[in-house]
Amino acid sequence: MLDAHNVNQPPIDPATVFHQNTYLRRSIIASYWLVILLAVPLWWRTTSIERLSLPTSRVASQSESYLRLPVRLHLDTPNAGAASALQSLLDESARRDPDRWNGLDVLVSSTKINGNSGDSSYTIINSPTILIDGRKLYYPSNDLNALADVLTSLIVPGSHSYSIQRVAQYSPRYRLAFSLLNQDAAAGRPIVDWDITSAIDHHLSPIFTYLSTLHNFTIESQVQFHAPLAFEPRQLPDGSSALTHEQLTIFINSAEWSLSSSASNDPVLHFVLFVPSIRHSPLRILNADGTTLSPSNAFLLPQWGTIHLHNPPSNSPSAGPTLLTLTDLSQPFNSFAMQLLTLLGVPSLPPTISRSPHATVTTITQWQLDALMRRRALENSERAKDTLGSIIKLVDKIQNMPVGKEVRNDVVDALSELDQMHTTTHTSLTHTLEHSAHALTLSSRAFFNPTMLALLYFPAEHTYAVYTPLFASALIPLVVTTVREFKAWRKQRKQRGGVQEAKQQ
Amino acid sequence: MLLPSLLHLLLSLFAWLNLALCADTAQENAVRDFFNNNASPGGGSAHTNNWAVLVCASRYWFNYRHMANALGMYRTVKRLGIPDSNIILMLADDASCNSRNKFPGSVYANPGRHLDLYGDNIEVDYRGYEVTVENFIRVLTGRVDPSVPRSKRLLTDERSNVFVYMTGHGGNEFLKFQDNEEISAHDIADAFEQMYQKKRYNEIFFMIDTCQANTMYTKFYSPNILATGSSMLDESSYSYASDSDIGVAVIDAYTHYVLQFMEAINKTSQKTMQDLFDYYDVSKIGSHPGVRDDLYNRPLNQALITDFFGGVAHAEVVGSSDDEAQTQAQAGGNFVTEPRSDSPQQLNQNQEQEQEKDQETTQRTIVRRVPPLSINSSVVSESQKLARSGMLTIWDEGRDLRAWMSLFCLVILVGYVSWNK
Repeated sequence: MLDAHNVNQPPIDPATVFHQNTYLRRSIIASYWLVILLAVPLWWRTTSIERLSLPTSRVASQSESYLRLPVRLHLDTPNAGAASALQSLLDESARRDPDRWNGLDVLVSSTKINGNSGDSSYTIINSPTILIDGRKLYYPSNDLNALADVLTSLIVPGSHSYSIQRVAQYSPRYRLAFSLLNQDAAAGRPIVDWDITSAIDHHLSPIFTYLSTLHNFTIESQVQFHAPLAFEPRQLPDGSSALTHEQLTIFINSAEWSLSSSASNDPVLHFVLFVPSIRHSPLRILNADGTTLSPSNAFLLPQWGTIHLHNPPSNSPSAGPTLLTLTDLSQPFNSFAMQLLTLLGVPSLPPTISRSPHATVTTITQWQLDALMRRRALENSERAKDTLGSIIKLVDKIQNMPVGKEVRNDVVDALSELDQMHTTTHTSLTHTLEHSAHALTLSSRAFFNPTMLALLYFPAEHTYAVYTPLFASALIPLVVTTVREFKAWRKQRKQRGGVQEAKQQ
Repeated sequence: MLLPSLLHLLLSLFAWLNLALCADTAQENAVRDFFNNNASPGGGSAHTNNWAVLVCASRYWFNYRHMANALGMYRTVKRLGIPDSNIILMLADDASCNSRNKFPGSVYANPGRHLDLYGDNIEVDYRGYEVTVENFIRVLTGRVDPSVPRSKRLLTDERSNVFVYMTGHGGNEFLKFQDNEEISAHDIADAFEQMYQKKRYNEIFFMIDTCQANTMYTKFYSPNILATGSSMLDESSYSYASDSDIGVAVIDAYTHYVLQFMEAINKTSQKTMQDLFDYYDVSKIGSHPGVRDDLYNRPLNQALITDFFGGVAHAEVVGSSDDEAQTQAQAGGNFVTEPRSDSPQQLNQNQEQEQEKDQETTQRTIVRRVPPLSINSSVVSESQKLARSGMLTIWDEGRDLRAWMSLFCLVILVGYVSWNK
């Protein structure tokens, strides 16, 4: 019945159904497209990487400009020709070894310089005794060649490759870790404590004061009672033990000694006072030939720190635990002080020069300090420029590496620090060094900015694989219906046109 | 009309690339010869500190062997003198405390359970879900959050030798991390380049044990990297043995034999990288380990194992405070020979080498696609390798072409569907 009834009904004209209304249908399709078009900027924004432009040209021009530090020498002599003769001798030395004199402009004058610039210039005073005091050098000025040699080694201290390698990389902050290690306290004669506070006050504080413009030091100390060696020292016929040169290199038993806390990220310099167990006592160091004993009982690991072997005097009471007093510590701490200077790159004075009478071992003369500051300033500016250059290069090379505001600000700040560094070269070496250190810190911070992590590499196939199932299934019907609607609309228009033409005719 | 011209284009592209590739290998050999001839006579490494990054990228109990691989390497580098503070150990799962572990608190790497790799002194820096691609890249590039502690940072400088060991499940140019993401060969190559730019290493030794491992180092382009892997393209890496009590495979064959070789090494050993690579035995390992040394400018027979696996090998005896003059003499006498020299001639040579290197990097688009040198060339002949690399190059070079082709296909599909109705 029902079927018959349906059959008898005429089919519904699609044009009369509400949602098949041509106008409505077309606006539905259009609204889809509208949504897509509106979403495009959003999609673009969320999938694009923030890459702020970096001051490339400034970095490039900065890398072209090299730091030149003036060194003004004042020759206090009545002889007018001496200054120019000394100048030409020093120039000749600079020509012979340009790497050593890199970045320095030496000016010798014989006129008395007064006023504010006097504090950074050096005075050479004619005197029969050779002596150094502040920025003054007392030297017999009759032998200009010898004077030029001495000045060379004072202004640009000898840079042998091995001494360079010992020096730790510049850092505005260092952590010094002092460790007293008993190889085996249980075996007897343990050293349970040391007067570390007064030892540091007495032996190292002067150094910290001298170097306060360069570095900030944090100090930690510890005493360990069981610090076994990972090898057996060589037994000598007289019952003592000795370390061969090879054993020195593997002396640090890092697997079992914990030598420094991991409290901060500053570079650590280690100072180890090692007390051998009774069985290995006294412990000495063999010379490189492996047969003769070295008079020294300390050795240095480049950029790492130093180790001092402490052999208690044999006549000491053998049983009880002992304390190391300030006097016991004077020898090891003198050695630590020397090695600290070496590790920090403080140049040593030429052997012919004696210090002023009231100087001690740890006195750093102004000449040494200036030489170190000049070298560090030159190093820092080079490293900062290198880092900035490599940031530009990497951002250029790795296309999906984001560059955020922080990075750009740090780069810009580093550049302005470098600019300020150049303007202060003639006024203050301390300021030059400070600006160079800031430039280095800022450029490193820009490089290590955590947001600068490039998106992981996606092959093109992966991108298609992600987008195709998402969008192809939606887009194809949409495109197809649009095309069909368009065709229908054109057909309709043609028909309507045809009808109108017919009417007109 | 379109098809023949397209075919023609493809053919000519193939021919051109093959030519370019051959020419480039020859040129590269010349460059390598140059470096070998001009290598420093002492051959010693110029580093002052050693670091190791050891990554086990897979989790779950059945991947016990990957944990054991990484822990075996950890034990070796620690035994040879790299302190815990300089080892970044990334373990994606804690096999020792897995409830299925019959020997809680222990991880063994051999069927007889002779040696507990977990021991009583172990420091895992990144564990579990912290082992991600992002964290690994951050460790290498140093781009970590300021709050990250020192033990999780790679604080290297231009005098550091870095040993990077990775293990897990991988494929052609990728390594899976934790079953939900993967790192590609490009990512590691870019990370190494960033380290190079910031002078974060002196030399890198990259070792990887995974399926198709040798593909992972093909994208490297930064200098002073020596790389080795366990198996070549389309080849699996196999496990060595299983323990019936533990119930799963305990170590991979490649790592097992590397560790076996390392057991004979002590801190003062003079064994070289060449000795290690000569020790590889395809019949035992079951896959073809590869070595890539074209970026490395020291001869392999002068690169000591301990340059990467050990502590540092420089020490100098210093005098006490009163005999400073003697200190200098002592230091001069005892110091290990410096590879660099200050004489102007040598410097010039160094500069030349730098320039050569620069040239090499500019050409790297093609150079870096040169296939890795296989130790055992008897199995895969040169011609086969060339053909394969040619195909690879075509596949890589044609990326844009393929993108346009797929777009073209899509348009045709849309057109067909809409006009046909």
